[in-house]
Amino acid sequence: MSRMKYALPVLVSLALITPLSPSTAASKIPTVVVQSGGFPTKIIGVPKRIISLSPTATETLFAIGAGSQVIAVDDLSNYPANAPITKLSAFTPNVEALAAKRPDLIILSVDSTNSMAVRKSLNLLNIPVLMEKAPSQLSDAYSEILAMGLATSHVAKAKALVATMKTSINKIVSASKRKNSLTFFHELDSTLYSATSKTFIGHVYADFNLINIADKAAGADASGYPQLSQEYLITANPQIIFLGDAQYGENAKTLAGRPGWSAIDAVKYGHVVELPSDIPSRWGPRLVQFYQFIADSIAKIN
Amino acid sequence: MISVQDLSIRAGDKVILNHISVDIPLTKWTCLVGPNGAGKTTFLRALLGLQPYSGSITQGGHEVYRSHMRNVAFVPQQPQIPMGMTVAEYVALGRAKRDGWGKESTKSRNLIYEILLQTQLYGLHQQHVSALSGGEMQRALIARALAQEPEIILLDEPTSALDLHHQIATLNNIEILKERGVTIISTMHDITLAAMYAERIVVMHEGRILLEGPAASVIHSAELKEAFDNRINVYTLDSGRPVIVAAKEERI
Amino acid sequence: MNTSNHGAPIGIGRIWNWRITAISAVILLVVALVGVSFGPISLNFAKILRTLVGAPHGLTGQERVLLLDLRIPRVLLAALVGAALASSGAVYQTVFRNPLADPYLLGAAAGAGLGATLAITSSGGNVYGLLPIFSFIGGVLAVLTTFFISGKFFAEPNSLLLSGIAVGSFATAIQTYLQQRHSSALRPVYSWILGELTVANWQVVRWSSLYILSAIAILITVSKQLDGLMLSDEESFSLGINPNRLRIIAVAAATLATATAVSASGLIGFVGIVVPHLVRGITHRVTNRSLGAIAMMGAAFLVIADLGARTLLSPAELPIGVITAFVGAPFFLVVLRRKRVSP
Repeated sequence: MSRMKYALPVLVSLALITPLSPSTAASKIPTVVVQSGGFPTKIIGVPKRIISLSPTATETLFAIGAGSQVIAVDDLSNYPANAPITKLSAFTPNVEALAAKRPDLIILSVDSTNSMAVRKSLNLLNIPVLMEKAPSQLSDAYSEILAMGLATSHVAKAKALVATMKTSINKIVSASKRKNSLTFFHELDSTLYSATSKTFIGHVYADFNLINIADKAAGADASGYPQLSQEYLITANPQIIFLGDAQYGENAKTLAGRPGWSAIDAVKYGHVVELPSDIPSRWGPRLVQFYQFIADSIAKIN
Repeated sequence: MISVQDLSIRAGDKVILNHISVDIPLTKWTCLVGPNGAGKTTFLRALLGLQPYSGSITQGGHEVYRSHMRNVAFVPQQPQIPMGMTVAEYVALGRAKRDGWGKESTKSRNLIYEILLQTQLYGLHQQHVSALSGGEMQRALIARALAQEPEIILLDEPTSALDLHHQIATLNNIEILKERGVTIISTMHDITLAAMYAERIVVMHEGRILLEGPAASVIHSAELKEAFDNRINVYTLDSGRPVIVAAKEERI
Repeated sequence: MNTSNHGAPIGIGRIWNWRITAISAVILLVVALVGVSFGPISLNFAKILRTLVGAPHGLTGQERVLLLDLRIPRVLLAALVGAALASSGAVYQTVFRNPLADPYLLGAAAGAGLGATLAITSSGGNVYGLLPIFSFIGGVLAVLTTFFISGKFFAEPNSLLLSGIAVGSFATAIQTYLQQRHSSALRPVYSWILGELTVANWQVVRWSSLYILSAIAILITVSKQLDGLMLSDEESFSLGINPNRLRIIAVAAATLATATAVSASGLIGFVGIVVPHLVRGITHRVTNRSLGAIAMMGAAFLVIADLGARTLLSPAELPIGVITAFVGAPFFLVVLRRKRVSP
């Protein structure tokens, strides 16, 4: 069994239909082995009691028509509005509390606390766990949607969704690409943590031909989230600033209040974009909305 | 006899004991006197066997360093006071070497009882050691040393924390040990008291021994005065007992 | 008070108080049973008992797996870790002659944290298997380093303390640097610090019990001599002990227990300080003589704390370190006040 590293893209394996042992009934129960988040998960039958511990997975499930199979979602899964939200934590999953709901499939993020041990414990209780990993690029996000379609027996719908997303995103991007690319700074928090082009959101910006000033500091953090210095930022003089911390109160005015920042082009000309809180951190069906949002922001600047 | 030959102890660059040689007789009371920094306490620790040294200290032909063959009791100037232990348990620690740690023989139990009476600690024996006054603590130390039934008892400033009345009582208790053939070696600031009890006196000064010999002759010697920069006066009472006091300097 | 044949009406009492040890064992057993009986999924108590003794009509299927493969290992691990931390804490308090000493004093916690961070940031994918080994080695190496840099004052308590602070600070600094360079490691390291009790399994219980029980056995064996370490070195030497050697043995065993506990369950604080004082307060005996009782009460303490961790905020888990801190901090204040009041 090959060990998939987390950094590799998510693969989807072919559905395996296993023949039933002769001692059981005549009807075949479809069994699939879904490769996701770097782990294979065997799912017998069509899951009807799914617990999603990932806001992105929740959005995807409802978008591919598996919403009726979902019995509970974690406390951060606020979209769509009719998802059965509970107090279950996505970050610190409680094995017993999950098992108490008698699910037949759980979708768990690799980044949650003790995710491996939680998965092992749930498997001991005969509950299959589909691992979900934050993607590093668009193709990974599409693979995840397909994996979820395979797991919930909505393969056709998943494929259709992916196709629609691809088309929409391609349209948005090609309509927006400019010949002279703009430099930008994506701010994660007020201590100037940023995201390089290696990250998912970095790839999104790169699709628009935007130039990420954080790339110069790529060596500082192996996962792509370096902390930039104020001096570098002011020297690099980005033309756009995207505020990932807008939900925490940062906006064009607060930026102008920071010492030395009023000289930065983006601040001078008011090219500061406040990113909405949820959408940039979801890589499900609403990715299209995110791309549209970026395109609209760039258009406004011209 | 404890035979000290060419004993030197250094701490980094500083010389604490400088090639000292002396013979300390057994079953007698020998007192080390001298000003602060003379090396008295270090000498005592070396005699105990815990202090590394160059040269030799032998007793019965064996080096004393790290040797558990002898039964030596050590009464420090400032003891480390343990938490949560009663006086009875504290004194009983003295029996640990003979009975083994964690065991208690009937003989020990009787001996502890007698010692507690002798040192007037019986009424306090259920009290926690941490609750004792300075004087009571000193008596507990002596009691524990007595419980060890040692061959040699080393005392570092045994009277410095006590009031006058208890000083004499403590020293009397220690003197009783002489009858049992115990060798007593002590350091003392109060030379008058030393003169009262010790049979031999060793005068130390800056890591050297200036003089050692019978108490009577050492007390009246020039070396004793020299050790204290000639700032002491030795008087003799009518009873023949010497009294040593510091000389008050004339103001110019 | 014991009475001897010769009329001497006092004695020091038995060194090993069997009554206290037995009572602690009973408390531990009861607490353990309570521990396996509660959780988000309620199980029939009678069936639990039947399953435990192997009688028929016990739990079946998923419930049986839940009890045997999830709950029991978790309670056992909590007990082991609690025992390790409590007995190490008691020994450290003796060795350092300080009532506020805890098992993490010589850099064990910082070293284990650094080891865990190294495992997470360098191993790339398969962290799960390597992490306990790395953190264990990290904890042990940190304490060894502490000993060696205390220089010629080898094993002298005060210099060990200072060296421990130095080693701990250095290890923490390296850990912080590594986390800065690998921000994706933040979450796994944080989750390790919170502890792995939540997902204990039989494998963890097996290897941790081996080390922890061996270490506690060593400590109990030397516990009688540990009384001597409460005195100054000259005094203990005259009473027949080699203070340095005894300190090394005691600290080595305590570190083994602590490093194992930390690598199995993350950083759980206060147990090492609170429990020895608790037992001494109840039994009024010298800490070293009740080491067995302290170990068992430590086990019971952590099992109860773990019970709180998984029931108080259900369905979420409350980190167990939070509970031990909530209990430990006020307790600390009580101990400090009492010390000031008594002469």
